[in-house]
Amino acid sequence: MKSRYADENLSWIAPLVLLVIAIPFLIRGVTFSYRYYLYVLNIAGIYTILAVGLDILSGYTGLISLGHAGFFAIGAYTSAVLVDQAGIPFGLSLIITPIITGFFGLVVGFPALRVSGMYLGLTTMGFGFIARRLIIALRAWTEGSAGLEVSNPVLFGFEFASDWANYFLIFTFVVAVVVVARRVMNSKIGRAFMAIRDSERAAEAAGVNLTRYKLLAFFMSAVLAGLAGVLFAHTMRFISTDHFDILLSIYFIIMILVGGVGSIYGAVLGSVFIVLLDFLLIPAFKDWMALFVAIEVADIQSLIFGLIMFLFIIFQPMGLYGVWLKMRIYWKLFPFNPKKRFT
Amino acid sequence: MKIRNIILLTLLVALFLGCAGREPTPGVTDSEILIGNIQDLSGPMKELGMALPHGSNLYFNYINGKGGIHGRKIKMVIEDHQYNPQKAVAAAKKLVEQNQVFCFYQVIGTSPCEALRPTLEEYEIPLIAPATQSGTMSDRSRRGWKYIFHTDTGYDKQANILVDYAYEQNGDAKVGVIYQDDDYGANVLKGIAEAEERHGITVQKEAYQRGATDFAGQVMNLLKGGTTHVIIGGVVREPIIVMKTAAAMSYAPQFLGISPTMDHRVVLGAGKEGEGFIVANFAQLYNSDAEGAKLYRELFENSGTDPKVMGMYNFYGFMTAMVLVEGLERAGKRLTRARLIRAMEGFKNWDGMGVFPGISYGPSDRAGTESVVLVANRGGTQQIISDWIE
Repeated sequence: MKSRYADENLSWIAPLVLLVIAIPFLIRGVTFSYRYYLYVLNIAGIYTILAVGLDILSGYTGLISLGHAGFFAIGAYTSAVLVDQAGIPFGLSLIITPIITGFFGLVVGFPALRVSGMYLGLTTMGFGFIARRLIIALRAWTEGSAGLEVSNPVLFGFEFASDWANYFLIFTFVVAVVVVARRVMNSKIGRAFMAIRDSERAAEAAGVNLTRYKLLAFFMSAVLAGLAGVLFAHTMRFISTDHFDILLSIYFIIMILVGGVGSIYGAVLGSVFIVLLDFLLIPAFKDWMALFVAIEVADIQSLIFGLIMFLFIIFQPMGLYGVWLKMRIYWKLFPFNPKKRFT
Repeated sequence: MKIRNIILLTLLVALFLGCAGREPTPGVTDSEILIGNIQDLSGPMKELGMALPHGSNLYFNYINGKGGIHGRKIKMVIEDHQYNPQKAVAAAKKLVEQNQVFCFYQVIGTSPCEALRPTLEEYEIPLIAPATQSGTMSDRSRRGWKYIFHTDTGYDKQANILVDYAYEQNGDAKVGVIYQDDDYGANVLKGIAEAEERHGITVQKEAYQRGATDFAGQVMNLLKGGTTHVIIGGVVREPIIVMKTAAAMSYAPQFLGISPTMDHRVVLGAGKEGEGFIVANFAQLYNSDAEGAKLYRELFENSGTDPKVMGMYNFYGFMTAMVLVEGLERAGKRLTRARLIRAMEGFKNWDGMGVFPGISYGPSDRAGTESVVLVANRGGTQQIISDWIE
């Protein structure tokens, strides 16, 4: 019997893995400041895992979340407490913490059965605030808002103590998450999610159990946010409630919007693009501008960031992945492109 | 023949050793010392992020104008962290790897500074005068402590001293505190807890969220609790609103403030409701008679900057620049990061032209100052009303 995945093109996995392995070597070959670039890439990798989870929830299932910084924070703090205070090995925390975060996802998912759209956005936003308050209130373990020092990740006796080692740890998970998420989204589960997004009534009429699949979407999304949180806490080695604010949740939404809602590749492209833009491109542009104009106020950074979001949403609603798809179709049809189709 | 060979070999070895010069220290050339500053230029504390480096540059330019430190001019590179700990780490890595700075100076904010600890350890690079008064900065149980030289008296110590002051004034005082529910407030509460234990009392605690603009609930609770002395752990807006709210409720306790409430805008904003407000400060005022303050005013006026910029935070940048310059001066001509650390550890009651109560460090001491002076608002001007209190 033919396998469910027999028709899927899997040839992209090997080049993707090779590319991911090659990137740090390329960067080290080009610049002495490779550790700085790897640090930024590590953040991008962690956010990619979270953005893939958010895309499953918001892009595929159509359930908006403005509280993902909350899941992320719970993942980070839970792992920090489990590993450094309860003495659980990091490897075990990589399994336990995402599941714990997943259960928080289920709790938040319950209101999603009743509310939708902007109201769900507000509910999840409320969860983000509650998560932060909870972390501050549990001072005995989390040191409140003073921030918490976290140990390095140790896996099979190997300590990941540098940006270089962290890169391979983080991107192993990024590749695994992307591969698994794409498979799941191409399966019955993914189709049920998309059916719910397109029309809840039609989905229900077609036999999709709304309660089950909505909760599953929340669970999966929170599991990935929890995994991202574990990696974040142990590779950044310091976590503070200052980081997990509402702006971070909005930042994640922007990532999937810019990347292209409803596609795993879009979430990857979006998160890498936004992190590189925020950490590297805009500061570099600002430094370059400073050569010509005396910039006293650094708000130019937020201005450029906002402008790019604005232009993307107006001119490229399908995001970066949409641009890629258009380019692919363009070259497939070249030179017989219908006029004005790809402008 | 043998002797000739030995002589030749000795000469060769000598030549080799002579050629193998010392590895150059990053950020230090014959004519320049490059230092890295990470400020909040576009986040919630951007006003301070602009005022602080301006004050620092006033002093650096003054020193550069006098020929620099051992012939080297100081140049400061500023990065923006937007009060985001992760961006602070990225900025620090950029400054070390791309700009090749010699040391960090005056990174603003407690959580950004805390987040930098692993980076300081990784590159073995000192951070001089972090722009936060959190007592955790000089905590030796934390990672990378030996690279951080904190100048200011911690919030915990300040709160402790203010409770003592309240009891000196009134043996039957009932003390309350309004604190920001974040890392700043946590450090204030640490000091309050120590004072509670020492005096065998319970201080009434009222929290508020960062960015809050309504304090009616907290003030009402303090009024109901009958507190006679209220310590405000806020910045600029909070003490103004708290004092105005209390006045509207005809509630007139003695208000006491932690050092971030020292800004003269508090005096201006609070008006007559702010009369008598007493603040703990870890240094002399910018308009005092201390030699350092006089020099600051002179350099500021000559710089042609908008007079509105002059004030506590601008002066804070100036004062901490004096600490760094003194450390670099003491580290000598052959400047390395290890030498700067050793030189800083040699500070003993150094008062920076009368501005500080006396900064001391040691091989296991990174606290800087441990005293405060009390400053009262009298008729719209800030006046020092005490000696240095420990």
